[in-house]
This record gives sequence, structure tokens and C-alpha cells, in this order.
Amino acid sequence: MSQRLDAIRDCLEGVVPAIMATCSADGTPNVAYLSQTEYVDGQHVALSYQFFNTTRRNILENPNARLVVTHPHTAERYRLQLRYLRTETAGPLFERMKAKLAGIASHTGMSGVFRLLGSDVYRVFDVERVPGVALAPSPPPRANLLAALRATATRLASCRDLDALFNETLACLESQFDVRHAMLLLLDGSGSHLYTIASRGYAQSGVGSEIPLGQGVIGVAAREATPIRIGYMTLEYTYGRAIRAAAAANGLAAALETEIPLPGLAESASQLAVPIRAAGRLLGVLYVESTQNLRFGYDDEDALVALGGQLGAAMLALQGADAGEDIPAPEPAAGCADSAPVVVRHYAADDSVFLDDDYLIKGVAGSIFWALVRDHVETGRNTFSNRELRLDSRIRLPDLSDNLEARLILLRRRLNERGACVRLDKAGRGRLQLTATRPLTLVEVGPS
Amino acid sequence: MPEDSRSARGALIDAEHAAFLATAGVSISVGACNAERLPSVTRAIGCRVADDRSRVTVFVVVAQSREVLDDLRANSRIAVAFSEPHTHRTVQLKGEDAVAEALIDGDLRHIERYRDAFTAELGALGYSPLFTRTLLDCSGGEVVAVSFTPAAAFSQTPGPKAGTPLGDLR
Repeated sequence: MSQRLDAIRDCLEGVVPAIMATCSADGTPNVAYLSQTEYVDGQHVALSYQFFNTTRRNILENPNARLVVTHPHTAERYRLQLRYLRTETAGPLFERMKAKLAGIASHTGMSGVFRLLGSDVYRVFDVERVPGVALAPSPPPRANLLAALRATATRLASCRDLDALFNETLACLESQFDVRHAMLLLLDGSGSHLYTIASRGYAQSGVGSEIPLGQGVIGVAAREATPIRIGYMTLEYTYGRAIRAAAAANGLAAALETEIPLPGLAESASQLAVPIRAAGRLLGVLYVESTQNLRFGYDDEDALVALGGQLGAAMLALQGADAGEDIPAPEPAAGCADSAPVVVRHYAADDSVFLDDDYLIKGVAGSIFWALVRDHVETGRNTFSNRELRLDSRIRLPDLSDNLEARLILLRRRLNERGACVRLDKAGRGRLQLTATRPLTLVEVGPS
Repeated sequence: MPEDSRSARGALIDAEHAAFLATAGVSISVGACNAERLPSVTRAIGCRVADDRSRVTVFVVVAQSREVLDDLRANSRIAVAFSEPHTHRTVQLKGEDAVAEALIDGDLRHIERYRDAFTAELGALGYSPLFTRTLLDCSGGEVVAVSFTPAAAFSQTPGPKAGTPLGDLR
């Protein structure tokens, strides 16, 4: 092979359509334009199968094919010699291509026409540069990705608790990768949805908002445990819309508004969601987006997948770890007896909690909060240990793998964002301190 | 039926299609294959259609098209796809008598006109004139004319009518 396939990945983004030649069993050639090509690995590409056409008939009769791909900036062309191997109609490769095709279709006015029926996988036998002049490559617009990854790795390795790890990850995405809109979502212990634990670059943080597996770019990346990357705006993968549709289908527009809106750019063009995996399981998704078309390429995807790996390992290492040093417990806020009480209402059905009429949180974080304020009101306790919370039968952790520390971070962030009259502060070595600035009146709704 | 609407002396393509092939800013790709049924492919840098529309000629850069030219020399079977980027309108012609010939008077003008049309077409999609000119550059390289009689002509525009013979679309 005169050129390495991984060196010409930019030609496989589907910006300039590829040209494909095939040949029938009786030796009749055929030429077709392809809107989508996908780099699979150093020896394989995948092409989108959208219609049963002559190309399709030919490769089933005769697996030999030729492909010309063009670099979108330099106009360099490469001719690939291919042999058809198989068609995938589900799974990570198919979902990656389906999402990307939705972006291409909407960008080229072909939504509703372009539809992925399968991902045709080809072995690449030769990559030949087509003789001819080329334009100079444009200088990289941003920092070298390996350097950015190294700097980020160094900073993440010095984090001593999950809270710092999440903050540092998003801060590094901005300072090192020039990514200005990002969010971090964790998989709920039930495995049915993800919840936002941190975000950066949005008017509302959206911490606590949820997205079901399989919905939008983020949900599909989680379900398939594969990166999903889109270069153009497409309604099909606009997660806000997907969420609203799912909510409507579930009849969730009930009397109580317990949906925290997902953060996100209304005019998102480029989206990239990478799974965070460690110890053989999915922990969450790191998501970045931009209003710029084609902002994220194969190299950005590689860098963020590597970052996701480190983030996952660090999360496992820090889960349950103490913060190292003792932080002196903050002084309880003085005299709140004369302020008006706040009504803390807990709905047992979904563990949703309201402070007066303001929705705070639901699910596991809701049940944690309810246990804390009950103990606080009934016994006057102010400090609690993570360990006792983990063993508390009132807190319904979906399973052992559920990350209690992350739930506490979520709860603390929600309380802080709402400027709530209850605060939770770290009190050193796996302990936390509850401070209420107003008297609490507890109301349980539904069976406890 | 007016003379123009179907064909001149049995030609498969009508005047409107001929104009699309020869004057629109379409991407032109040429395919062939060898005795082992291994396909070959190259990009063309212009097209001319005979006045009676019985013969279509595309221009290719020899250094970029060695395999295609070898295959055509061996079996004369050719496929050429013309695709307009902004509409996705695509037409494919097939022929069984393709021959490579020297350019004739006026061919360089066809090539220049094509370059201008394709530059304008891609310009509307955001590509710089320099990009398109680089893609179609033939400076210093030998260019030949590949001519054939269209034996079959299909619409290949993505959608339900893809694969329909051109005559049946009317």
C-alpha cells in the first residue's frame, strides 16, 4: 500500500462525495457517487448502503470495487482498491454512520431521501495517490491534539475527588482543546438513562437533567458504547427535540414539572459524544458541540475517546475515595428560628423533592436528600458520612455500581444553583454537613 | 412529435440531457474494468456531445487515467456518471465502443468552459475557485478524448426513480 489509510482519514469525512466504480458479473462497469464513506480501521472502510441499485447488485456479484476520495482542503485525490466483505445493519458502526448520514442529508437537502439501510464493510488493498497538483494544507486552527491531551492528562491525574475531576475535565476541554460547550453525563445505576453531572458553556447548567439511552447523539453513544459524531445540524439528532418527543409519548406532561431542561446549543452543528468506559462497563458520556460545521474530525474523536478512557479510570479510582485531607466543617449558620419555614415536599412515587413550590431533584438524589433532612429535623443531626448513606435502606441505590459520590455532587450542585435554604458541604474524609438557613417543615406525599 | 423531443437518428439522449452533460457544472466520472473484472475509475475534465447526440466524448488526463485507458483499449466498455452537486441530479451513460483519441479543434475550449461551469457550481457550495481548478488541473499533462456511443442511459438521481432509463422519465 503506497499510502496509509489512516493518513487520509480527512478524505473519508464525506465532504467531497466519493466516486465508486464497480463491475457486474458480465463485465459491465458502473460508476456512482457516494455521499458517505467511513474510516473503520487501518485496513477497512465502510460505505453507506442506501438504495438497492446497480452498485449494490454489482458488489454482491463481484466484490471488487474502486473508490476515489478527495481531500476537502488540498483537493488531493486517492484511489482505493476495495473488496466487499459484509453488511452491518445494527451495532456501533451502523449507528455511527446513521447519525453522520443524518447530518450530511440535512446539510445537502436530502433529509428523507438518504436513509442508511446498512454499512458495507470493505477491505482496502491499496491506496494510491492520483497524480496531480495539490493545495497546501491549511495550518491547524487549534492546539496540537496530543499536546492538549497530555496537558489534560496531567491535570486530571492530580485531582483528588470526583467533584474536582469533573470540573477539571470541562475546564481542560476549554483551555486545552478550545471546546467551549461541553457536558458530562453519568449512567444511572438502572442503566436506562444518563443524568447530567456537569456542564460548561451554557446559560443554564442543566445539572440533573436526564436523557434516555438511545435518544439523540448522547443516548445512542451510550447505548452502543461508541463515539457518535455529526458534522452538520440535523433535526433527527437534536436531543432536546428527541427528549420532548419521548416525554410526550410517556405522558410525562403531568401536573408536576419535574423535568430539568437539558443544556445544549439551539443551533448546534457539530456534535461529538464519546462513551466513558472503565473496567468493562459504561460509566457515562462526554459530549462536546459547536455551532461550526465539521468542527470535530477523526483526530478530535480519537483524542476525546482517549480522554474518556482516562476519565473513566480516574472516576473508578476516586469513587469512594476520601478527599485526602480533613476539611474543617463549616460553622452552622446561626439562628434561623425567626425565618419563615420552608416546606420540603417528598413524592414517594419517584422520590421527587420540592422546596416550597420549586422542584429540586428526583430519583436517587431525591431519596438521599429526603433521608438527610428527615434525620436533621427529627434528631437535629448536621453531619453524615458517605458510608452510612450507602448502607441506608431508605436510599434506593439502583445497584451497587451506582455512584453515590456522584449523586451527592449532583445534589450539592442543584442546591447551590437554586440558592436553596439547605446547603450540603464537604466536611472532610467522606463526611458532609447539612446547613439549613430556614426551619424545615417536612411533608411526605404518597406511601413512604 | 417535434424532432427534438425524443432522439435524433436513434440517439438515446435528448437535447436537454445533452446540454446537461456538456454544459452544466456537473462532476464527471469515468469507469471501466479489466478482464479480471477489476474496475478502474478516473475523473473527467470536460465533455462534448455530437450535434446529432449519437456520440459522447469526455476528456481525461492520461497520467491520472492509465488503468481506465488500458481497460478501454482492451474491451471498449465504459460507464460515465454526470452529477450536479447542488441538485444531486445524476445521469449515467454506458457504452461498448469507447475509444481514446487525440483532442480536436475546439476541445480545449470545451475543457475551459467546463472548468468555469464546475467552478461556479462548487463555488455556490462554498469551494474556492482555486480548489476546483486544482481538482481539474491538467497543466503540462497529456489529455485525451474518450468517445463512445451511449448504448444505455439512466437517471441515477438518489431516490425512488434511480435506475430508470432516461427515455422512461419523460
